[in-house]
Amino acid sequence: MQLDFATRELTIKLVYYGPALSGKTTNLQALHEAAVGDSKGRLMTLDTKDDRTLFFDLLPLNFKDVSGLSVRLKVFTVPGQVIHSATRRLVVQGADGVAFVADSRESETDTNAEAFVDLRDNLKAQGIALENMPLVIQFNKRDMPGARSESDIASDAAGGREPVYLAVATKGQGVVECFIGLLHLTWQSIEKQHGLGKKFGFDGEGFIENVAEKLGRHEALDRILACRVGQARLGGKS
Amino acid sequence: MSDSPRSLNDIAISQDFELEDLLDRPALVEMVHSFEVLFGIPLRVYSATGALLADTGAVPSLYKYLETTRGGRTAVQNVIVEVRRSKPDDGVSSQVRCISGGQYLTTAIVYEGHTLGRTIFGPFLSPEVQEPPAALFELDPALERAELQAHWAGLSRLSEEYCKRIDQHLRSTLDLLVFSGLKAHLASSMHLASVRESFRELGDKNKKLQQAYDRLKELDRLKSNFLATVSHELRTPLTSIIGYSEMLLEGIAGEIVGEQRDFLQTIHEKGEQLLGLIKSLLDLSKLESGTMSVRREDLAAGKVIEDVVATLTPTARKKGVVLSSSVEVDLPGLFADGERLRQVLLNLTENAIKFTAQGGVVSVSARVVSLSSDKGGSGGVLLGAARRLAIEFRVSDTGIGIAEEERERVFDAFYQVDSSSTREAGGTGLGLSIVKRLVDSHDGTVRVEGNEPEGTVFVVTIPIKRAAS
Repeated sequence: MQLDFATRELTIKLVYYGPALSGKTTNLQALHEAAVGDSKGRLMTLDTKDDRTLFFDLLPLNFKDVSGLSVRLKVFTVPGQVIHSATRRLVVQGADGVAFVADSRESETDTNAEAFVDLRDNLKAQGIALENMPLVIQFNKRDMPGARSESDIASDAAGGREPVYLAVATKGQGVVECFIGLLHLTWQSIEKQHGLGKKFGFDGEGFIENVAEKLGRHEALDRILACRVGQARLGGKS
Repeated sequence: MSDSPRSLNDIAISQDFELEDLLDRPALVEMVHSFEVLFGIPLRVYSATGALLADTGAVPSLYKYLETTRGGRTAVQNVIVEVRRSKPDDGVSSQVRCISGGQYLTTAIVYEGHTLGRTIFGPFLSPEVQEPPAALFELDPALERAELQAHWAGLSRLSEEYCKRIDQHLRSTLDLLVFSGLKAHLASSMHLASVRESFRELGDKNKKLQQAYDRLKELDRLKSNFLATVSHELRTPLTSIIGYSEMLLEGIAGEIVGEQRDFLQTIHEKGEQLLGLIKSLLDLSKLESGTMSVRREDLAAGKVIEDVVATLTPTARKKGVVLSSSVEVDLPGLFADGERLRQVLLNLTENAIKFTAQGGVVSVSARVVSLSSDKGGSGGVLLGAARRLAIEFRVSDTGIGIAEEERERVFDAFYQVDSSSTREAGGTGLGLSIVKRLVDSHDGTVRVEGNEPEGTVFVVTIPIKRAAS
């Protein structure tokens, strides 16, 4: 996170992490497509080779809060292939929140686990414990044959701390919900550390609702946040 | 540009970059030029720091004429200062009036809310303006009215509406250029950073490997030290054992009779044998620590072989093995340590006899070989290096032989092809490793070949060296 008091600018870095071919870039493309108006910047895709990300993708989203604070969201992806570990470590540096995009297919369970360990190691290398990083998990490719059942994922999710979302990024399903979930979690963590509400009169919930609106979700924030796995039935607040 | 590389976060999060980092100057100048050709209006691009990045240098003829007089020059300079001073807000163009009644349009170049620089284009006249302002004629008395009028009429004319559209177009073109530039800038920074990160990782690994290697080397050194100390300490009491058994045999402590003599003889022999073993251990540790000196002298290879064969003939005869030798005539002299060379050949020949069954043949030979042909490389010959000659000693037997995969390892210390406790042949397993080290100390080589149809050939090659002048 970067806060410029003089220009009243807040920059938040969000990173989409996950194994190769799990749909991180597709998530960004779907977000880019969903965004309306002048809030979205150009989606930058850095050096792809055979449709694979070599360095990262970057989607800038810019918003202005009612308090006059301008908030820039920089959403990154990392290259998923195992050999690009050094690049992943560099991209995840200074991240304020991480969305882990997992492949829903049963056959990809080990690959998901490996990438998750890689994330933990790369955060650790920077002195960050995984528990202290705002993190959401997205089970993508729900439409693929061989995908794990929702109840299976829900029982796993109940045991974990991180909010879990289901998505079909190629169709844009669940992408915005997951993003808003990540943004909400990240904002809570930033607010706890920096108290932006007090300093700037920054209305976090209102801001996130505004972001959701710009991404085409005209609903109350609670309803969007309730889209996480295991929460819909409870219908409660997160 | 700063010398230290900027990180991904510096560029992408803090937007710590300048227009100069993103745009290729010659290409920008080309674009500005084509803009001027298309619209007939000069265009300049400035960075946020105020550096002029692109300018075609075109000056309206009116300005050129004005600059010929003092008053005109001052007026033009004032306009330029004012234009350069104008700071347009993000996304809003600002107009600056000119002495000619025309105007300049300055617009900020903004990327992601970050002002990178500005564009200035002008001067141009609005189509409605029919006459130059009266002030233009009063700038300097030396200015001719008719000429001023003519130059003024040559200024480009542009409606405000059209001008805004041009500006819009310019903005989107620059935005695209900045985007592409930023992308390339990020990619190259990322590439550099990744390489640096990988390099750092490799460096860490290398350091760990080096530490492990140093530790192993230290352990090896300790082992050699231990070996040297132990063999030295073992020798002292052994010398007493041998000495006293010798004295007993000589009858100094009274007469020795019957079986007593046999037993004493055995004690003495075994003591000598043990001393031999300890000596080889000492030799090895000396060779390993590099403290064994090589005393080179001129010597004849044939003489050394003769000596070795003479020493071992009784042993061979006892075992029923035929020991023969052949030495090439006119063999050149060697410059080597005679004692060490004798030790090498003695060891190899003794081994050969040991592993050859009754009725077998062991032969020792020496001949001259050329080293360059041996190594297969012709580089030395091409470069005119002198052909190096060497003397090759071959010790062949018709014994049990050594399997191909074992041939490299037989020179390792303590290695035994047959390491079972029930092996027939004795020995410490140090002989060949000492041979290897002794040959190495002469810059020579030793290798094992098979002897057809059975048996082994040990080939020792010692280069012929002249006495150092």
